[in-house]
Amino acid sequence: MNADKVLDAKGLACPMPIVKTRKEMKDMESGQILEILATDKGAKADMTAWAKSGGHELLEIEEAGDVLKFWIKKG
Amino acid sequence: MAGKTAIIASNGTLFDAYKVYNIATAAAASDHEVAIFFTFEGLNLINKEAYGQLPLPEGKEHIAEGFAKGNVPAIPELVEMAQELDVKFIGCQMTMDLFGLEKEAFVDGIDVGGAVTFLEFAKDADVTLTF
Repeated sequence: MNADKVLDAKGLACPMPIVKTRKEMKDMESGQILEILATDKGAKADMTAWAKSGGHELLEIEEAGDVLKFWIKKG
Repeated sequence: MAGKTAIIASNGTLFDAYKVYNIATAAAASDHEVAIFFTFEGLNLINKEAYGQLPLPEGKEHIAEGFAKGNVPAIPELVEMAQELDVKFIGCQMTMDLFGLEKEAFVDGIDVGGAVTFLEFAKDADVTLTF
């Protein structure tokens, strides 16, 4: 999936992947897509909840080994 | 703002600091308006001399290794992040007086107030937590 921006949050513990995602998203335009890479297992549930509460669309989650990949479209 | 979170921090170990700051930064990153009221030992969490070397709870010293391995951010780093996200810090005037501490002993940008200051913020909060 094509992303407008990629955020590498691998190795970071909760709540850093969310805090960094929020920071990146803030500078993006509505409709743009952010790809996030994380290794924090809790991010799977957290990213889903965060996108929902912020009015963003979580397009896809992919697991590749230890790495979780998220694609979120800014609402 | 998507919501409002009010937190009371009244204990001063490393565990308490993570509980408080993780929830506070996560709430702020989810567009909540957040305020933390630091009282009694919770003041350690914003005390410039103490917050970089908070003790582990008694009997839990062995967890230090887990913290080193877990790649969790240091407390001063979380404090900076919380402030960047506009989390409001309120130091409890009464306990500061009891402990003989002035505002200068704490990280920059804190407000000092009493119980009513916190209650005013917390009365219409969506989430209220005590640690």
